[in-house]
Amino acid sequence: MLSLKHSFKMAISSISSSKMRSALTTLGIIIGVAAVIANVSLGASFNQYFTDEIGSVGNNFIIIESKTANLFHDNELHLIDNTPGIEGVSPINQRVAKVKYGSTVRQINIQGVSEDYVHVGNIHMETGTFISDKDTYMAVLGHDIAHEKFGRSIGNKNTIDITFTRADGQVISHQFKVKGIVASPENTLVQSGIESDIRIFIPIATMNEILGEDYYRGFFAAATSLDSIDEVTDELDRRLARSLGVPSREIDNEDAKPYFLLDQGEILKEVDSLSAALSSLLMSVALISLIVGSIGIMNIMLVTVTERTGEIGIMKSLGYKNYEVLSLFIVESMVVGLLGGILGILLGIGGAYLVERAMGLPYVFPMDMILLGVLVSLIIGLLAGLYPANKAAKMNPVDALRHE
Amino acid sequence: MIIITGKNIHNVDGINVIDISELKKSYFLGDVEVPILHGIDLNIRKGEFVAIMGPSGSGKSTLMNMIGCLDRPTTGKVMLMGKDTCAISDNELAELRGFEIGFVFQNFSLIPRLSAYENVILPTYSNAKKGMDNPKRAKDLLKLVGLDDRIGHRPNELSGGQRQRVAIARSLVNDPSLILADEPTGNLDSKTSKEIMEIFSDLHKKGCTIVMITHDPEMEQYVDRLVHIRDGYIVNN
Repeated sequence: MLSLKHSFKMAISSISSSKMRSALTTLGIIIGVAAVIANVSLGASFNQYFTDEIGSVGNNFIIIESKTANLFHDNELHLIDNTPGIEGVSPINQRVAKVKYGSTVRQINIQGVSEDYVHVGNIHMETGTFISDKDTYMAVLGHDIAHEKFGRSIGNKNTIDITFTRADGQVISHQFKVKGIVASPENTLVQSGIESDIRIFIPIATMNEILGEDYYRGFFAAATSLDSIDEVTDELDRRLARSLGVPSREIDNEDAKPYFLLDQGEILKEVDSLSAALSSLLMSVALISLIVGSIGIMNIMLVTVTERTGEIGIMKSLGYKNYEVLSLFIVESMVVGLLGGILGILLGIGGAYLVERAMGLPYVFPMDMILLGVLVSLIIGLLAGLYPANKAAKMNPVDALRHE
Repeated sequence: MIIITGKNIHNVDGINVIDISELKKSYFLGDVEVPILHGIDLNIRKGEFVAIMGPSGSGKSTLMNMIGCLDRPTTGKVMLMGKDTCAISDNELAELRGFEIGFVFQNFSLIPRLSAYENVILPTYSNAKKGMDNPKRAKDLLKLVGLDDRIGHRPNELSGGQRQRVAIARSLVNDPSLILADEPTGNLDSKTSKEIMEIFSDLHKKGCTIVMITHDPEMEQYVDRLVHIRDGYIVNN
């Protein structure tokens, strides 16, 4: 009985006798498996990157933005704060103003917030402390503002002048004392509206007083957990709609509401669907390549069987049974597939690593994909080898010997 | 030294190695029957060295295919070591070839990718009698045919005579009941042919049963018995 060890030995001797041909044959499998591996690795890497990224913006955040001015007041702030599942909430106003430090003047986004923002906005301090609700003319600077925007670095306890233009055209300047600098988050690419690096935070009460306004543009809230964020957002939506007089039948009609809600879960879902679309594109490339690869193997195995008709005759005269001849060729085909698979795995891992490094993405090692790559290449080798091997096994020994 | 017994569990005294009766074989070209062998009766006893001679087209190759279990008769019986080769499956027939017959072909029929040693041991990967599938036996057989210094050489690194010696060593690896040689010197010059025939003579003296197909009258000197075949009939036995 022909052992697997001997079949394997014969396969290796056959493959190594025509190295170039074997290498070209495996190309389709190499590309296919590499595409699968790279795809999964890059997909996982993107996902992790976006999850980290969105996580750095806030902890389980929910953004509530008004579509019209003069909509949100303290009433809504308390309503949000009292909604079950909400951990904290900060009202938000935003205005571009002229900021002067020393003799340099710059246009900068000024963000009015409350002290809760330090938690809901996932703010980490480089130096000093974040603004508290007792503060008045105090400012907390984003990392880039403090270190890059002006000619020289701004430090704690320095003062800056902020000049606002009110809605009625009146220009008001005030001096603010720097209370702290926000540490730069690891990565930031999500929405400039939340980016902490390039903005200045001041107490929202002070900002409203300067601007002569008494409403909030929106709220930045945090849910207690990501799992419950959907329900909390829905509950918030219902409460706000009721409070603002939106009929309950219009609750799902985004156009009928004077505000909109966005939570971290939804952004993650969007990222997921984006990477799923990318993934399915790469997967179809991989699939086509694997199909082409398997046809390549089948083709070359058919050539091999024809070339070795005489040898098949010899093997049969030596007592090899049909199924042993079959297994010889199937093992050979599977070894070709496996070689392609191994090279494809190496190429896929290497390629994904280089791309991820070049793009500054976190490297994700797709361990389970290696197993899948090996399995897929073996199965493709098996399927591609079936027909040629069967052809070899069925040969009549007399005819095969005469072919020599 | 090597044991070449030509014996095995089936080899009971009194039974011929080959027992052919009323063997007819026809090929079909479309619907037209082309008879090749017209009723052959032939017995080969243990230890005999028989030459089957005849011109090309006489049916001697077809007869060899029948004896070698490579093909089945149209009618009639071929018994190998007392086993009816018509009554068994393809796999059993293959097994019978592996265990009982050692083939030596005109064109040597070695696997070009494998070394002399690997070629010799190749049959045992499929069918190995007890104790026959060891490296020492394969090496000893190569020594027996005078190739102990060519063990690792591939066929294309060997001369024609050396290749045929490898093939002879391979035919012996399973200690078969019968060595079946099809024009074993057909591709060799006369000096090398003589050397190869001397190896067969030695094997015969050690007790091997050998059937050789040939058209070369010079081979008569080496054999016990001549069987002439012409137009599908045995004309002289």
